[in-house]
Amino acid sequence: MPLVEIERLSKVYRKGSQEVPVLRDLDLTVDAGEFVALMGPSGSGKTTLLNLIAGIDRPTTGVIRVGGDDLAKLSRTKLAAWRARHVGYIFQLYNLIPVLTAFENVELPLLLLPLSRAERRKRVEVVLDAVGLLDRHDHYPRQLSGGQEQRVAIARAVVGDPTILVADEPTGDLDADTADATLALLKRLNDEMGKTLVMVTHDPHAAAAAKRLVRLEKGALVAGEPAAVRRRVMRN
Amino acid sequence: MLKFLPYVRKNVLGHRVRSAMTVAGTALLLFLFLFVTAIQGGLDRVLSARDDRLVVFQAYRFCPSSSQLPVFYADAIRGVPGVKSVLPVKVVVNNCRASLDTVVFHGVDPKLLPAVRPNLALVAGDWAAFQARTDAALVGRRVAERRGLRPGQSFTVAGVTVQVAGVFASDGTGEENVIYTHLNLLSNPAAHHACHATLFEVQVDDPGQAQAVAAAIDAKVKEKFEVPTETKPQKAHYAAALADLLDLIGMTRWLGFVCVGVVVVLVANSVVMSAQDRVREHAVLQTLGFSGPRVFSLMLGESCLISLAGGVLGTAACVAFLLWRPMTLSTEGASIDFVATPGLVGSGLLLSLAVGFVAGAVPAWQAGRAEIVTSLR
Repeated sequence: MPLVEIERLSKVYRKGSQEVPVLRDLDLTVDAGEFVALMGPSGSGKTTLLNLIAGIDRPTTGVIRVGGDDLAKLSRTKLAAWRARHVGYIFQLYNLIPVLTAFENVELPLLLLPLSRAERRKRVEVVLDAVGLLDRHDHYPRQLSGGQEQRVAIARAVVGDPTILVADEPTGDLDADTADATLALLKRLNDEMGKTLVMVTHDPHAAAAAKRLVRLEKGALVAGEPAAVRRRVMRN
Repeated sequence: MLKFLPYVRKNVLGHRVRSAMTVAGTALLLFLFLFVTAIQGGLDRVLSARDDRLVVFQAYRFCPSSSQLPVFYADAIRGVPGVKSVLPVKVVVNNCRASLDTVVFHGVDPKLLPAVRPNLALVAGDWAAFQARTDAALVGRRVAERRGLRPGQSFTVAGVTVQVAGVFASDGTGEENVIYTHLNLLSNPAAHHACHATLFEVQVDDPGQAQAVAAAIDAKVKEKFEVPTETKPQKAHYAAALADLLDLIGMTRWLGFVCVGVVVVLVANSVVMSAQDRVREHAVLQTLGFSGPRVFSLMLGESCLISLAGGVLGTAACVAFLLWRPMTLSTEGASIDFVATPGLVGSGLLLSLAVGFVAGAVPAWQAGRAEIVTSLR
């Protein structure tokens, strides 16, 4: 069953009087429980597509429905509330709040949900334990390594039990071992918890963790293939 | 909103030096503003004196020492319809010009004083001791505190030597800056062949008729003694006495406004810097689901917290200073007390909150309205 339905989606940015088309008449569906990797050269529109799915940007034309909600029709405030409930966003550069501890960073999105303090605490402890950082709950981002920061960021993204997780080059700033650990964590979220994941990456190795690969070039889809097929292709 | 307070607090504390400097600057300026407001409040209290009191002063005399009205005029004034009581007062000041520690003697009939000043409450000493000695004095509490005076002590100011018989508290405007002593002591009847007062304080039956009674008093004294007098409501008398200071105090009001303006700029500068440093952070918050109004209120909360912290410090410092160094600005017997009132404290705190709101509104609005994708880049 499709969780994300995209029809004839276009996005045009304006730079002064100049119009820069980023996405052109794009159609795509992502089923619930899928792990999709978006690949493509710089400027191909993959991050724009991810931002549109996450509801932090708006399409110029076309329809984008996530979980049945037509995002283009939601007001700014309603879209924010929708994001709080349905989206977990993982950034390349973690983007943790520097003045908050790991615990407080993970708790931040829960402040927007109708949860008691005790419920928030329990949820935060569960996800910090899941990413192996419960013992670092009172550490500030500056006291954590890059990999640990990214794990806190992943915990922050999943703590609200969102409908969809989106990740923008989540391993782009990590060394190989840490990147592997992060990808393994994302795979676990998909395999064991059934989380739908859409991930932008430049890295074929990272893309191989996904179940489906979607390639963009110049704002249009050029291929969509199961990752298992792609792995065979890479081996051959 | 309360659950977001730790985030607001940590952001303020997270930029310790910037926040501390802004709080310190706000505190200093609020201190100055409240000090000026205390002066203004003192003046307002003087000029809002009771409407049922008139002051009879010798006409065309502009200093207490030059107004010489024989005490027996009191009998004629008492006979004017509408007059309830008359108190001859001899004013002696230790400094005819503005001073922050002026001592003002009011020479009165000691037998009349308890009746016309029922609001005097002795906090030390007793009435009997005051009435028993010609050189006895009842000292206002603020004077006693400033000068360290206690019952039994003798002191000399402006050529007048008195012994403290008691210390009084009063809710009368500026009255705690006055030293009451015997009229005979100050008016020196031997030298003047008659006991003289500087002024007569007249209480009227009907405050609505005060102006008419004042005109009748002037007419009666003129008719009977051929001496021109100028009778005014007490607050008008004080306003005339403090005329020189009114302009000065009016200037300080502008100084206060400038302080408020500088505080707004100071806090706004700090909030703008904080907002500019955290463009990406605000975009992240919005990505997590924080709405624009929520980001706006968080930024505004930071602005108000910084401003309020400065306001609390500045207000506390001003109150502590005014309690530590009670000050009075006096001229011609009228005194302006610099007093820390609950209203002063309230206005300091409310103003600091308002400053936080005004200073933070624009940067907070910009933070709440920023495009997420643009900000993340």
